[in-house]
Amino acid sequence: MSNSHSDTVPLHASSQSDIDEIENLINVSVQSGPATVLPARPPSPPRASIPVSSTPFIQSNIPPPTSASSNQKVPPVSAAPPPPINNSTRPNIGVSGFGPSPNTLTEPVWDTVKRDLSRIVNNLKLVVFPNPYREDPGKALRDWDLWGPFFFIVFLGLTLSWSASVKKSEVFAVAFALLAAGAVILTLNVLLLGGHIIFFQSLSLLGYCLFPLDIGALICMLKDNWVIKLVVVCVTLAWSSWAAYPFMSSAVNPRRKALALYPVFLMYVSVGFLIVAID
Amino acid sequence: MSSTDFGEVSRPAGENYANPKTCFFHVLFKAAALAFYILSALFVDSFVIIFVVTVLLAALDFWVVKNVSGRILVGLRWWNEINDLGESVWRFECLDQELLARMNKKDTWLFWWTLYLTAVAWIVLGIFSLIRFQADYLLVIAVCLTLSIANIVGFTKCRKDAKKQIQAFASQTIASRFTSTIQSAFSVV
Repeated sequence: MSNSHSDTVPLHASSQSDIDEIENLINVSVQSGPATVLPARPPSPPRASIPVSSTPFIQSNIPPPTSASSNQKVPPVSAAPPPPINNSTRPNIGVSGFGPSPNTLTEPVWDTVKRDLSRIVNNLKLVVFPNPYREDPGKALRDWDLWGPFFFIVFLGLTLSWSASVKKSEVFAVAFALLAAGAVILTLNVLLLGGHIIFFQSLSLLGYCLFPLDIGALICMLKDNWVIKLVVVCVTLAWSSWAAYPFMSSAVNPRRKALALYPVFLMYVSVGFLIVAID
Repeated sequence: MSSTDFGEVSRPAGENYANPKTCFFHVLFKAAALAFYILSALFVDSFVIIFVVTVLLAALDFWVVKNVSGRILVGLRWWNEINDLGESVWRFECLDQELLARMNKKDTWLFWWTLYLTAVAWIVLGIFSLIRFQADYLLVIAVCLTLSIANIVGFTKCRKDAKKQIQAFASQTIASRFTSTIQSAFSVV
């Protein structure tokens, strides 16, 4: 049971014997390959909020990834020898008891935050910005996360609420509820049409596609001229729809593409209308 | 017994919290979200601010519990991955049995109890706003409740998985020890 050897790391560094520590180092370097949980595709950054595990963890429902996938970017965790402590801003503990992967576990909180942020930025770039080298859109948002959509929806609600001169609370609540419920319903729509899309991936996608409308709402808040508003909203609306199109259309049967895309377009149009009409 | 008890009744176990700072942060954001929501009606006028601050605190709490206190206090971790076939897969991981057994009892007790209590508190607040027909506040509560329940479900599934793993591991160990004992007995003979 080689697993158990590497797991004799106690909670506190002081009680760790030297021999055990050396054993851990050996086991880490030996076992770092297939036992490591790896991100699904090469270009994506290491999973931010979830530190990539190595040996002490018992993998529960999936067999370890094959060696093909283990060629992908192995996060720095398993390669580095486990330092006993790495605590600048991190709350507590030396060796955290998680054995040979303390780098992401005892890393300063700021590092985890930075990784999460970079994940958001990457997803944004993937979804919203023109990218001729984008791989199959159905697989593009593998590293879905809901933080980006959360921030964008709240930002849009805040902007709309700020632009409104009366009934600010209602505007915010309506915008938030509309966008959240709308994303859920649109996803259900695709699923019920027999499409192949994953619930959270789709939610994440629809949230990220709100980014152009966020920019549009911000500009409209700053400039009051209705012509400019109209133009800006039309442009950002087209941009949002263009961003959502490849993902949605690849998920459904080609004959039902329009059925899946029309509601998305409708939702963005209604948001656009909210932006223009807000007074 | 322990001075870091935050006023709770201390357990007779005699051990202190092993990770007081993590425990503190674990409780901090939950308590802040609940407190802000309850007290905000007294001194904050704007619903938007109440919404944004409460939901932000709840989201921070979600992140802290999932990424920090889950790993440190109870040795569990859960997340979702999309594999090469494009299927969504929920991953649950736990520490090895030895390390799990060594987890500080107070830490785990605090972790689980605060997790469940916050969800109950949000449900109670939700019932209040339902009675008062405040749809706006119901929205806030729905979001916070979703976040709490997500964490509860994730960690509970993870713990069940961990128990199954432990049982499998234990029976495997017993079986292998048994066979090796028999073998050594025979070799002696």
